[in-house]
Amino acid sequence: MQKRFLWILDLNIDLMKARKTVFLLILFGTANFVGAQDLLDILEDEGKDIPQYSLATFKSTRISFGHSIETRKKGILEIFAANRFWNTPSLRTQSFAADRLSSRIALEYGISNRLSTGIGGTTFDGLFDTYLKYKLVQQRKDKKGSPISITLFQNASYFSEAIADNSIQDNFAKRLSFTTQLLIAKKISPKFSLQIAPSFIHRGLRASQDDPNNHVALGFGGRYKLGHHISFVSEYYTVFNPVKSRDTYGPFSLGINWEIGDVMLQFMLTNAVNMVEDAFITQTYNNFNFRNPNLNFGFNATYIIHFKRGLKNKEQIKKP
Amino acid sequence: MSKLIPFFFVFMCYGQQPSKEKIIARQGQVSFFSYTSVENIKAENNQVLSIIDLASNEIAVSMLMNAFIFEKALMREHFNESYIESDLYPKATFEGEILDFDPNFEGEQTKIVKGTFSMHGVSKELEIKTKIEYIQGGYILSGTFETLVEDYNINIPPLLRGNIAKTISVDFRFEYRPYES
Repeated sequence: MQKRFLWILDLNIDLMKARKTVFLLILFGTANFVGAQDLLDILEDEGKDIPQYSLATFKSTRISFGHSIETRKKGILEIFAANRFWNTPSLRTQSFAADRLSSRIALEYGISNRLSTGIGGTTFDGLFDTYLKYKLVQQRKDKKGSPISITLFQNASYFSEAIADNSIQDNFAKRLSFTTQLLIAKKISPKFSLQIAPSFIHRGLRASQDDPNNHVALGFGGRYKLGHHISFVSEYYTVFNPVKSRDTYGPFSLGINWEIGDVMLQFMLTNAVNMVEDAFITQTYNNFNFRNPNLNFGFNATYIIHFKRGLKNKEQIKKP
Repeated sequence: MSKLIPFFFVFMCYGQQPSKEKIIARQGQVSFFSYTSVENIKAENNQVLSIIDLASNEIAVSMLMNAFIFEKALMREHFNESYIESDLYPKATFEGEILDFDPNFEGEQTKIVKGTFSMHGVSKELEIKTKIEYIQGGYILSGTFETLVEDYNINIPPLLRGNIAKTISVDFRFEYRPYES
């Protein structure tokens, strides 16, 4: 009887030892695991002060017809060709492909990583324009910096077409128009970005004495990435004090931006004929619909040339 | 009393950890190259972090993908936006062990570093031949290895397939200093 009891006691002690060993093994295991995790945690801690800026809120300097917050980086020359095609309301025409075409050919250049400039000429209305664009604030991904990006935009355009109406007096200064924009954008998710653009437009020429010289407008723009290289974009501007002598409508667009290498192609459907800010914001005479001549097919092509090399030591890039 | 012994053991194990010497590299250099007949692409990152635990020979590396600088500014945007997707996968990390490493050996030795490399949400086991130099109290690790683009689930559109090499060669160099936490 006593022997049997002792045997049970022995077993009990064995079990306790086994449990202790298992317990120790588990603890040693975790200790090693914690050690390995520690190294990456230390690096995580070391790297947390490096600022993280949001890249590419939009892929191009334009959303569709209007400017985005993006500026070109230092030493980049952009060759920009924007075209709008539309048809006249007549039922039968003998034009090839489209009745009317307007093109804006421009050269745009990144003076620094924040400052860009450009000059361009538009065939329709003979508009010549130039702009300066400065990236003021860059959105940061970490919680410390600005949650939005802000870019200042200023352009000047010259209306070179002859004016049929003799009652309108003009000189060089009167043919100039100026647009000032504050572009504010946020990359809400890796795919989705939104922009608002409070704008002030001064126009030298007036069709009637009742028309204001200065306009206040607000623009909205957005992009949604459909794939790695393709995004869907839309833009709309509303003018708070439009011209009185003629009915005008807010320019609107639906578009696809396709980027491949150094080339960016933008396709859009829009009611805005013009491609210069003061003209398309205040002088869009047709509302957006799918009838002629309201519907414009727009096509922008951008080709980029790098004049500045990013890497300092030049001996690289040769086959090993 | 006997029940407390394992706890003492455990405390000793944990207690030893911080006293072991660690060395860190804060400005490690990693560069990669893609050579094709169409174009050559090179990128450099000079802010790579790495740490070695000399007691256990464990090594960890962490790099920010958007810290890579390219020849062309637009390449950096494409790399981050369209290929590596640095908004979703901001970092690439390596975690492993230097096999048969003797920290006290002065001069140059070549060892295999074995571990897991994670990038673009994909983890891969790598074995990298690494040159280890021990000069004036500091360690320098350097080496070269090649890796396949298709291993990391990176989508290259057919139009650009000719511009990006299938095999990317990677150079690295880390200079370590003692780590004070």
